[in-house]
Amino acid sequence: MAMKKKRYALVIDSRKCINCKACVVACKAENEVPVGNFRNRINEERKGEFPKLSINFEPEQCHHCEEPSCVRVCPTGASWQRKDGIVLVNYDECIGCRYCMIACPYDARYFNEEQGVVDKCTLCSHRVDRGDVPACVETCPSKVRIFGDLEDPKSRIHELLSTRRYKVKEPQTGNGPQLYYLL
Amino acid sequence: MGTIRMDRRLFLKTAGATAGAVAATQVGCLKYFKKGRSSAADSREIPTTCELCPNKCSAIAVVEGGLIHKLNPNPENPKSRDMLCARGNAAIKQVYDPDRIKQPMIRVGARGEGKWKPVSWDEAFDFAAKKLSETKDKYGPQGTLWSSTEGFQEKFFVNLGQAFGSPNIVRHPTLCLASVNLAYGTTFGTVPSFDLLNSKYVIMAGANRFESIITPDTMDLIGSVMERKAKLVYLDPRFTVTAAKADEWYPIKPGTDMAFILAMINVIIAENRYSKDFVSAYTLGFEQLAEHVKPYTPEWAEKETEIPARDIVRIAREFADAGARALYYSGRRSSWYQNDFQMRRAQAILNAIVGNWDQMGGMVPNSTLPKGEFLFMPWDEPKAPRVDEVKTEFPLAAASDGVYLKLRENVLANKPYPIKAWMVYKQDPMNALPDQSKTLKMIEQMDFIGVIDVQMSDMAWYADVVFPESAYLERTDPVEVMPGIWPAVVYRQQVVKPIHDTKPNLEISQGLAKRLGLSDYFDYTIDQWVEAEFKDLPIPMAAEHMKKHGVWAASGQPKYGATLTPDHRFVTKSGKIEIYSDRLKDAGYDPLPVYTPPVQPPSDRFRLILGRVGYFTHANQSNNVWLHEFMPENDLWINPVPAGRLGIKNGDYVNVASSVGTVKIKARVTEEIRPDCVFMLHGFGKKSKMQSLVYNVGASDAVILETAWDKVSGNAAFHETFVKVSNA
Repeated sequence: MAMKKKRYALVIDSRKCINCKACVVACKAENEVPVGNFRNRINEERKGEFPKLSINFEPEQCHHCEEPSCVRVCPTGASWQRKDGIVLVNYDECIGCRYCMIACPYDARYFNEEQGVVDKCTLCSHRVDRGDVPACVETCPSKVRIFGDLEDPKSRIHELLSTRRYKVKEPQTGNGPQLYYLL
Repeated sequence: MGTIRMDRRLFLKTAGATAGAVAATQVGCLKYFKKGRSSAADSREIPTTCELCPNKCSAIAVVEGGLIHKLNPNPENPKSRDMLCARGNAAIKQVYDPDRIKQPMIRVGARGEGKWKPVSWDEAFDFAAKKLSETKDKYGPQGTLWSSTEGFQEKFFVNLGQAFGSPNIVRHPTLCLASVNLAYGTTFGTVPSFDLLNSKYVIMAGANRFESIITPDTMDLIGSVMERKAKLVYLDPRFTVTAAKADEWYPIKPGTDMAFILAMINVIIAENRYSKDFVSAYTLGFEQLAEHVKPYTPEWAEKETEIPARDIVRIAREFADAGARALYYSGRRSSWYQNDFQMRRAQAILNAIVGNWDQMGGMVPNSTLPKGEFLFMPWDEPKAPRVDEVKTEFPLAAASDGVYLKLRENVLANKPYPIKAWMVYKQDPMNALPDQSKTLKMIEQMDFIGVIDVQMSDMAWYADVVFPESAYLERTDPVEVMPGIWPAVVYRQQVVKPIHDTKPNLEISQGLAKRLGLSDYFDYTIDQWVEAEFKDLPIPMAAEHMKKHGVWAASGQPKYGATLTPDHRFVTKSGKIEIYSDRLKDAGYDPLPVYTPPVQPPSDRFRLILGRVGYFTHANQSNNVWLHEFMPENDLWINPVPAGRLGIKNGDYVNVASSVGTVKIKARVTEEIRPDCVFMLHGFGKKSKMQSLVYNVGASDAVILETAWDKVSGNAAFHETFVKVSNA
């Protein structure tokens, strides 16, 4: 623990989301996600009667929880969490039992038929480790997602979470989700 | 798992091995190539310029093991604002599409039957050159038609048509933005950009900027509106994403936009809220305007538009109060109604009287950058007049672009002379033009059709010979200056070598030129062409910079107000901003926009309206597997009230019939559209079996759209079709 602790998270300003799907395709390319599977998505909520209508878009992916239930239920230890909070799957250890898919409150995982393993958002850990932001964050036309280190008091996400109102999804699960949605 | 194969564990290991600089999340002119991003040993990063739509965004291609792995946005382009949309990201699949045309092909069955013989480039060139020469011998060079859509290599195709001697070059503007360009050009002498980054009050009608992505407008507006820097009032018969994000949405009655604008002008003048200083210093014809708009009261406009008069009055006041930072947004694909030019003129006049011209947050004349030119041998002007009779029928229109629908009418009628050969570059007239049956008739009439395209479009499917063009990621293209508030120069360079037996359009044009005896006009390589263009760029070591960065833009703030000097002459007849236009009057058009109510559909019919979603904007994107996932099939939006009356349930297949055709399409019963119109997306129901994801899936709007055009600009009028909807 000599190194400075990091805790990666995403702050999401859903109001700016225009459902253009750039983040979804960027993820697909960056992480070679098979056609038919998605590591991130945009939830849509359409309400009202003509002409009193509303649409809300809400990008979602793995919440890289503080206490990830997917890691807890994994019988082989394939689902694991890095010290910086990123939840990953070790494909060598994964037996494809899919308990984690059931345990995830956010439906953030999928089964990769071709490889026989469960897969999910890695927060582009390979990009993050070399100092870049995740592909979904970078490509977004309206910069809906803000990526950063919660342990860094100078980070933009730290500033946003200390000055703006926000919510997390399904807090009652005790998972401690780390996708923060600005209100 | 797609065509890019790499061991995932190895990938994670190599990628994770390198640590880099601190992550940057801010938007703006960051320097991508100072960050030192490359990780894997065999990884290269090559800057280029996207070609999936006309925005020309800067992208960085990450190539690993010879394959394109990823396209990242290039933050150095101020126009694309450090983003790459879904289409841009999916460009990889354009290259690795199994449906691609892999070598030149000559038709062996009937047209459209899909029987092809793969041939060598020599055979394909010889065949086309023979056919073109035969047509020339029989009908003169004017007997050939050259149609194309915009792109960096389009100029070579246009040059070939001109060098061949044909006056009949027809480009895309009259299927797109001809009316808006002509209207703003007539009024201000130039077509401005809209400074949505700094505007305080924006009225947008139908332009749906949050789905129909235009850079930098889409990004600037979403930022301004969501950060409460600007108010957005949005008019559209459909509840689009832009409507959902707007401060106010009015489901305006289709075709009545001009009534809304004229009533706003009426209020602003009646209440003395216009910019008196600006109007007196820079404009001509304000008095005539004041008189002209008197009958166009908000109460009158309420009856036309179904927008309450009190809202029109309030919006007019708010708009005028925002003054120089208020914008009535022009729109881009302005091919809507037969009065489209005059409606856009009304917008231009409204913008003029609040004095937003050349102001921060207003309409800004475009800045540009110098660029070198490659000098090539000029050719003689064609002797024959154009077949679309632009000069006599549309005296104010841009003759060099042509008027597409009038052209098709004349070709079908052999008027004033026959057209017997049709060369097409990068365009799909089968889907881009309304009334597909007429396009098919035109195809039947041809002795020869040659198509140059990256993919087997419906037009290519009906060709006699298909020349496969290399995808943009496989090509180096001419340098492009992108004028704007933040002008930039962009460069597209080859990222990977062509994976099939394809060629860039320049080499295809040269291959044809050689056999047509026109080689002298094409005596250069792309590298020579590009070197000449690099020469006059205002950058030291321009060639090195462009190859390394792919883009160059001046730093610093835009210059506002350069045209606001007492001695500035606007490029109009009077040298002023022309509210009242003598030029229009002399040409026989209304010198001020006169409102005529649109014809309304009979009670058993609907008006068909068109639009976009963010991940499909053009017909050439629907067969892309990464975009197709979001919408496997298009559908027909219909309001629940008429749907209930007709017994149509959500998901039912329905027949949609106009006077020119019928299509079968799935119904989407939704509250998000007015009861008097229906909507469908473009780009489905393809006839080409080499568009396998959308072949015979969904429906093509081109089958049912009727032929109509704007009277002044000749721009296609795509919202003038009434359709009957019934259960299939």
